[in-house]
Amino acid sequence: MSDALHRLTRTPQGMLGLGLLAVLVLACLLGSLVAPYSPEAMDFAGRFAAPGVKHWFGADQLGRDVLSRLLVGARSTVPLAVLATFSGAAVGACIGTLSAYLGGRWDEAITRTIDAVMAVPHLLLALILVSTLGKGSTNAALAIAISVAPSLARVTRSVALAARQQDYVKAAIARGEGGAWIVLREMLPNVAAPVIIEATIRVAFAVMLFATLSFLGLGAQPPESEWGLMVSEARRYMHQAPWVIVAPALAIAVTAICFNLLGDGLRDALNPRDER
Amino acid sequence: MSVLSVRDYSLDYLTRAGSQRVLQDVTLSIAPGEVLGLVGESGSGKTSLAWAIMRHLPRNARESEGQIGLGDTDLRAATAKALETIRGRRMSMVFQDPSTALNPTLSIGRQVSEVLVRHRGLDEKEAWAAATEALAHVELRDPAALMKRYPHEASGGEKQRVVIATAFACRPELIVFDEPTTALDVITGARILDLFARLRAETGVAALYISHDLALVSRVADRVAILERGRIVEEAPADRIFRSPTHDYTRRLVAAVPRPEHRLVSDMPTPEPLLSAENIAVRYHRKRPATADLRIDLKRGEILGVVGESGSGKSSLARALTGLADYSGTITLAGRRIAHMDRSYRRAVQIVFQHPDSSLNPRHTVAELLARPLKLYGGDIKSIPQLLTDVQLPAGYVSRYPHQLSGGEKQRVAIARAFAAKPQLVICDEITAPLDVSVQASVVELLLRLRATHGTSYLFITHDLNLVQQVAHRIAVMKGGEIVDLLGIDELRAGQGHPYTRELLAAAPPPVG
Repeated sequence: MSDALHRLTRTPQGMLGLGLLAVLVLACLLGSLVAPYSPEAMDFAGRFAAPGVKHWFGADQLGRDVLSRLLVGARSTVPLAVLATFSGAAVGACIGTLSAYLGGRWDEAITRTIDAVMAVPHLLLALILVSTLGKGSTNAALAIAISVAPSLARVTRSVALAARQQDYVKAAIARGEGGAWIVLREMLPNVAAPVIIEATIRVAFAVMLFATLSFLGLGAQPPESEWGLMVSEARRYMHQAPWVIVAPALAIAVTAICFNLLGDGLRDALNPRDER
Repeated sequence: MSVLSVRDYSLDYLTRAGSQRVLQDVTLSIAPGEVLGLVGESGSGKTSLAWAIMRHLPRNARESEGQIGLGDTDLRAATAKALETIRGRRMSMVFQDPSTALNPTLSIGRQVSEVLVRHRGLDEKEAWAAATEALAHVELRDPAALMKRYPHEASGGEKQRVVIATAFACRPELIVFDEPTTALDVITGARILDLFARLRAETGVAALYISHDLALVSRVADRVAILERGRIVEEAPADRIFRSPTHDYTRRLVAAVPRPEHRLVSDMPTPEPLLSAENIAVRYHRKRPATADLRIDLKRGEILGVVGESGSGKSSLARALTGLADYSGTITLAGRRIAHMDRSYRRAVQIVFQHPDSSLNPRHTVAELLARPLKLYGGDIKSIPQLLTDVQLPAGYVSRYPHQLSGGEKQRVAIARAFAAKPQLVICDEITAPLDVSVQASVVELLLRLRATHGTSYLFITHDLNLVQQVAHRIAVMKGGEIVDLLGIDELRAGQGHPYTRELLAAAPPPVG
């Protein structure tokens, strides 16, 4: 694993992705400590203050400091998106591997179900789930996890089909191992690399999906400073004070780019085949 | 004037770990009409030398010194443009695996005639006619029909003949053969060699014949060069290299070549029956069963060799006996009829697969690999170091991953895993095929020693007829899903048996000398 990390730092996209990730992690850990103001401190005299020395990214309609809100909001945006994606990916990977292991009719049934679920657009699926489960960050995260799982299951299945043909799976069957052991301990570790790569890229979508849900009022609720919610709230004052919408929108974009770059870098780092 | 001359040639590959030398001061020359055999184990650099001669090296290759000359052309100085007229015209190559050497999206006719259009300046129609003639010349039946077919519609032997026809099409000065029969069956391979001998006599082409099989090369080549870790350690006429090898490494290689007359097993099996399988038929999802009504029986401590070409049903038999394939028929183990594969049967019958790279899970350490049978069948985890010592591996290997081991060491771990179950029968499915001869000899020796200690029976599946004659008590010959012959080793040696058995034996003659 440390070997893969080393290779990751040798590609430009991996290096840049890691750098941005470090910034995000710092913001999540220390955001509330380094923020110059409280995210909810209102200042009616300073409404729509333009970016400057006092407010680096300006202030919003209630005079709250945008930078402070971004820094504190990182914690309610990024970890949840990452957690949602990776838990969805874990479930998807298990389903995909199981499908490849069982084969035959079971495989057919699982794959067709996945196809059916994937026919529903992610956003629509998430909307249906959240409107059934109720608003809130946790339910939004759950909806994201569920919408990530099918596509990850499909990716995993295609890789696991190759692993299924390997002799170590046959050896395990001949030994009389149970299905759970074969799926979880023999096959899953060998399909992990593509799953991790795919999941990392999916985090970018999850951040945006989460922001979208918050934007639509179904994810995080005010006065939380979740980035999507910030964009949603700032929409009405777009012409008056564009910085209030630009800052969180950029933060979302940079996070998405970060995980995309990281995914690309990991793809090279975890497939050292080209290297002699 | 020699056709090919390589002088003081050295080659390195740049890797992340630094520069790695693959060829060191290689000097060899091939006279017109001569065949030079190049023998080396895996990793000795023989294929790198072939690509250096063909001027197709990977980007991280660095040639430090030396010359490669084809006739009076300096190949190292030749431009890419010049090479285009040399490759295919003046020198050509025959690859190991004919199924990947042909483009699956082009018809065979297109691929053969393209060479003729390019290098002999024929137009499409003339080239097509000449290509058909070339295919007829390599003894392919109905060449006109074959021209229109695609590679997947031809058998492995036919494809290799097509590749050879293409290589000979422009009457080159030199042909490089890179293990042309390794991917083929014994009989098909033997016929390819006959074809090569005939074409060689007709055309007088010079050839570099690369192989890991010293016995085979000494039959094909005029002179043999032995390559060890990038250095040529010995070069001698083919008949001499077997009879009087001078270098230590060559001596080791010669000693490791299996000789059928040299038996490694002297004792007889006990009369007590261990396993009998009757009317075993395996069908996959096809109409024709892979095997039909097989009947075998094994005694305690017996080694039963199973030989046959690929697709003859050898592996299907192994799969049925280990419960990997659905079968119909009855299996009886030590007097107990096996209705379904229960734990005690699975413990008693273990299998070792051909490729340890594939049979050992790359994400498990040696300790984890060996702990599984102990946990499943009852055993002490503390005995893992002892299991490793039994297969002559250092006990310190417990924390290693398979990719940190060599091919032979991996196969030893696979054998240790089988013996961790304290089995009564071990099915060895071509376990020596991917190994170098010297490693192969030590693995066979290990198997025999384990048998002496534990009294295990072996079902020894192989295509190496010389090896199987050294170890087996009886031999089952399979063809087209049936056992055509089942006879004792003495009867086999006395020349008895089915005509197909004798044909197989003739295709794998014992080494000369």
